[in-house]
Formats: sequence, structure tokens, C-alpha cells
Amino acid sequence: MSNATERARVESHSTGASTSAIHCQDLSKAYQMYAKPIHRLWDVMRLGGPRYQEFWAVRNVYLDIPHGSTVGIIGENGAGKSTLLKLLTGITKPTTGTVEVQGRVASLLELGAGFHPEFSGRENIYLNCSILGMNEEEIDRRYQSIVDFSELGDFIERPVKTYSSGMYVRLGFSVAASVDPDIFIIDEALSVGDEHFKGKCTNRLNEFREQGKTIVFVSHDMGAVKSMCQWVVLMDKGEVLEQGTAEKVSDQYLKRAHERGNERLSALHRGTSEYPRWGSGEIEVVDTQMIAADGSKSHVFRTDEPFRVRLTWKAHAAAKRPVFGLGIYRSDGTYVNGSNHEWRHDPIELLDVKAGEEGEVEMSFDSMPLLQGQYYLTSFVYDHSKAAPTAIDHREHVLTFEVIDALHHQHGLLYLPTLWQVSRRAGGGPTEVRESRR
Amino acid sequence: MLAITKSLFAQKRLLKDLVVRDLKARYVGSSMGFFWSVVFPILNLFVYMFVFNLVLNMRWSDHSSNGEVPLIMLIGILIWVAFSETVSRTTNCLVENANLIQKVVFPSEVLPIYLTGSSLVNMTLGIVVAMFGIAWFAYVDPTTFDWDVVRQNLEPGEPMPRVMRLGMPLVTLPILYVLQAVFTIGLGYMLATLNLILRDTYHLVGVFLTVWMFGTPIFYPAALVEKAGYGWLLNLNPMYWLIDSYRDVLIYGDWPRLGFVVQFGVVAVVTFALGAAFFRSQKDRFPDLL
Repeated sequence: MSNATERARVESHSTGASTSAIHCQDLSKAYQMYAKPIHRLWDVMRLGGPRYQEFWAVRNVYLDIPHGSTVGIIGENGAGKSTLLKLLTGITKPTTGTVEVQGRVASLLELGAGFHPEFSGRENIYLNCSILGMNEEEIDRRYQSIVDFSELGDFIERPVKTYSSGMYVRLGFSVAASVDPDIFIIDEALSVGDEHFKGKCTNRLNEFREQGKTIVFVSHDMGAVKSMCQWVVLMDKGEVLEQGTAEKVSDQYLKRAHERGNERLSALHRGTSEYPRWGSGEIEVVDTQMIAADGSKSHVFRTDEPFRVRLTWKAHAAAKRPVFGLGIYRSDGTYVNGSNHEWRHDPIELLDVKAGEEGEVEMSFDSMPLLQGQYYLTSFVYDHSKAAPTAIDHREHVLTFEVIDALHHQHGLLYLPTLWQVSRRAGGGPTEVRESRR
Repeated sequence: MLAITKSLFAQKRLLKDLVVRDLKARYVGSSMGFFWSVVFPILNLFVYMFVFNLVLNMRWSDHSSNGEVPLIMLIGILIWVAFSETVSRTTNCLVENANLIQKVVFPSEVLPIYLTGSSLVNMTLGIVVAMFGIAWFAYVDPTTFDWDVVRQNLEPGEPMPRVMRLGMPLVTLPILYVLQAVFTIGLGYMLATLNLILRDTYHLVGVFLTVWMFGTPIFYPAALVEKAGYGWLLNLNPMYWLIDSYRDVLIYGDWPRLGFVVQFGVVAVVTFALGAAFFRSQKDRFPDLL
């Protein structure tokens, strides 16, 4: 058993099982993978075998979620989060171990599961509620609030197939949220819908929390988990790697994301030649590297961390006045920044480069200004000896990198240093001013 | 089996909603609505009558009364369609409702039941229309036989022709309905589960049902099969026992043959017990098999 599971077990024991909403012990789930479908039939009929290979989607999980807590489960795709949720909701049965759940569970594993496209919103509300186990009187009582919450208005009488995907999700969430659960289990359902409705959903979840209900929230977005949950469970390859306060686990998570990101992005780099490259070719940029504060090569940086970009060049022929430059783009193509070493207050001029010369060009940043996301670099060398600069070696998309924003203090594209001032006064009294520099 | 019955009782509201939804879904968006459940079998009837009676020149008997042959065929078609449609839909029902089974805690045992219920309601509409036809030929436009002539022309062993009437034996209809439902649901449980384990089941069932339909005396008289020496086939075919019982009750106002009803009842209950047991034994694995 790994260290992490050991620790998880100790922590869960200290909480005590009697007050917990969800209590899992040594929970594991194995799926049986068959090479051929017919083998499954032979196995069911007990004709020899077994012929399957086991795939352990969840392994040795100890969880103890007290009533009234909000718990986030985080992990990369395939970490076993969804399987764990299915086990918690009772949709699928564990292979070993036990799950004890106290209270009514509502799950948002999929919004609008079981909606029939030909039927109106009203009919679907009734059917979906009865699938979720409500009786007629309960549905009648809740119907109006479901419709109000979904903001569908007159659309409620139209067939669901005419709904936009946003409307569909709104209706699904409204129905699920109306179950009035003791335990609410959500699988990234909130990442859909418009901002306004997302806000409403968050409000509804906050209400649940204030009523002392238990919320289990699954996501791979650390920011969302951190803002909602006090306790976070980090999963990897079916196992609980770490669980604890959001701060503690998010550090671990980011560290892993860092390593993973580096592996993934360096694998990506081998195929960069597919991006366009053009120019007359007197000078070639043979290598582009991003270097972290400690001098190591990296593809993943944190906001606010210093970093450098280094171009290594080689001249194959004479060039009169080459200028090296760098462009930064966000993965969606947004042009973030472009600069070169000549168009500056204190320009560096590089004149009469001869064939066979080589060198490096470095651009350093005191602090990474970008916020969370994927970005790429474009490097270029242009000949500035003519009236209009012409390309010597222009390489699009020469390098991809990722920025992780551990703090999540700002949103958008750039981290901007700001000074905040807030003042308050009460009718003629003294003014209290408070300042924040970071 | 007991556990399944119990859970059904707990789910009766859901069951009702699902049946209503299914009946609506059949006709939502069509302008003639429920009318189709009558039009469809009648259209079928015309096609089969054309093929069997006109093209193949098959005769049921020398002594058929007015409207008897189409009505016999119609009743047969109605029962068969309700049965085969349900079996084929049920076989696929778990796969079709995968997102309910995988994403919600859902009592999957209601699926075969609601499909059966919905098709029985649909079948009833057809039967009601057929009964108007039977009443018409029994009382408004009856056929009068000259019994002495008929008796002389009967081949040895051929039974006396019967006239259509509505009678007391109609009270046995609910029994036939229940037995049909039990049989269909049991078969459904078995095939739906099998289909999760091996998806080819659905296609095999389609083929098998077609063969079974033509092996059942729906469009031709059972006597023809017996005369050809294939009577043993009829002794193995529960659907023949069921359809024959329905015809006795609905068309001739006779009591169904006790032997047929008992045989069918035994087959139905055994099928149900086996099907339900198989279904239950695999039920926990459904979300993983999908």
C-alpha cells in the first residue's frame, strides 16, 4: 500500500464514521476487459476461463466525508474520478470494499439524462422527477420552482429537441437541484451554460452548503475546486494520492501538473516542423529554449516567476543587418506580445554578420505576466537593411508552453500589478481607507 | 422473482409514467395519433390476405362465414405484433437506456415491463376495433349455414364450422392478457440481459422472430400444418396456444381450450422465473457492461 493511502486512512479514522455522510473503506472497482465479446458469454456460462483482463479504475480508496462539508475530487482524465462518483452514488457496485452513504443523494453526473427530445419541458420534468424517485405530489409542489429556476419561460411547453444546449442544461440542473438532497454529487456540470446561469448554480450550491448539506464536487479545474471546497482529494491512476486542505493538495497538484506538462509538451515539440517557416535563410535559428529561474529548460511556468527565452543562431551566408525578434501568442491565436532587440529605447544593432558566425539571443522577463493557459512562441529574424524589413528565418509556432496560475487571484490574459484602495465612512465620521499592493 | 415483483410495486408510478410516455412517443408528431395503432395492423392484414389468399390461393375452409378469415388473421396479427414488437424492443432496452443506467440510480427491471404494458394497451385498441367487426358479422350481417348440407360436405375429421358471436368466455381475456405479459416479460428479461453480454443477440432475435411468425398459424389455418404432418411443431409453439385461445374467446365466444391455457401458463411462468433470475444475477453489472 502506498504512503498516500496509509495517510488517507489515518485521517479518515480520526474523523470517526458515525457522523459521516459518506464513508468508504478500501473501495476498489475493477472492470473486466474482454478481447472478444463472445468471451464474455462463455464466462457468464462458466465455460472455462476466466478470459478477461482486469482494469482497476479505482483502487483502495478510503474516504470519510462528514455531514455538511464540501469536498472536491480532483485529478487528470482517467484518474478514476468518475468511477469513484458512480460508486458513491450507487450506480455501480464496488469490486471490493464498502461505501456507506447517509441521506438522500442527488447526482449531476449528466444533466438531463433520460430527457425525451419529442416531449415538452413540462413532460420531461415530470418524467425525470419520477425517475429520480419523487412522487406525484412532490413533483406538483416543486414544478413551479423548477420552471422558475430554469428561466425557460414559454419554452417549457415546447419539445426539448427545440432547446439550445444551454437551455437543455438549465432544465437538467433545475430538475436535479430540486430533488432537495442531503448529499449533492456534481461532475463538472457547472462548466456549461452561460455566466448568468453559472452564477445561479453557484448560488444554489452555496444555499445547500448553508443548509448544512454535503457537496461532493469533481473537476480537473483546480481553480474551481479551490474556490468551492475546504477539503480536496487528489486522485491519480485510481488511487487517492493525497487528501487534505485545498492549499495543501493544490500545491501537490500543481507540482504534478508541472511535471506532466513538461513531459507532454516536450513530446509535442518533436513535430514542430509542420508549422510554417519561411525566409531567405542566410541566418538560421537552430534552437529555441525557454529557461526557468533555476537555469533549467522548461515548458511550464508559474505566473509571476522569472523566465528567459534563448534563441541559438547560425549564419550560413552574410547578412547586412539581421534583427531577432519574438512573438508570444495564446493557444487560441491571440497575439499577446511581439518585440525585437532593435526597436528599443537602447537598440542593439547587429551589423555585417559573416557566413559561419553563430551566437545566442536572449530575452528575459523578471516575472511571468501571463495567466493560466497554453501559449506558443514565434521566432523571427528579419533583414532591416532595406526600407521594408524582409524575412530571413521566420518560424511560426516554434515552441509551446503552459502557464499555471497557482493563486488564481486574477482572471483573463495578463497578470497586472495593481494597487487597490477601499474606503468607508459613516455619516460625517472619519473615513477609513485601506490599501492593498499585492 | 419475489424481489422483482416487490420492486415493481414500489415503482408503479414510474411504470405508469413510462407507459404513458411510450404511448405518446409512438404517435407524438403524427397527425392521426392513436389511429395508427388500428391502421397499422389492418394494413398488415390486407398485405397478408393479398399474398396468402389471392396470390398463393390458399383457402381456410370450405365453410367460412362472412368476414371470418380476415378477422381470424387480424386477431392473430394483433397478438403477434404486440408480442414480437415487445420482445425485440425489450432485447435492446438496456442498451437504449444506457444513459439512465449509467448516470442515474435507475430500476432497470421496470424497462421490459413498461414496454410490455405499452404494447398491450396498443394491442387492446386494435382488439376493440376487431370486436366491432366481429359484432357486425355476428349480429348485423350474420352468415346462415344450411347445417345438413354442411354436415354432408365435411371431410372426415373436419370439425363443424363455428359462427361468430360475443359471449361469456370474454371474461377469460384478462387471464390471457396476464399470461401473455408474464411470458413476454420473462423472455424480455432473458434477452435484454443476454444482449448486454453479447450485442449480436438483438440481431439474432430479429431473425428468429421472423421465422417464428411464419411458423405460427397466423395467416394459415393450423389444420393445414397438421395435415402436412408438422403437427408436432404446433405442440412446441406457445404462441400458437395463445393465439388460438384468443381466437376462441374473441371470435367464436367459446371457452379457450383448457390444455392450451394451462400449457401456456406453465411455459410463461417458467420463462419468467428463469428470465428474472438471470436478469437479477447480472443486474449489478449492467452499468459496467454497457
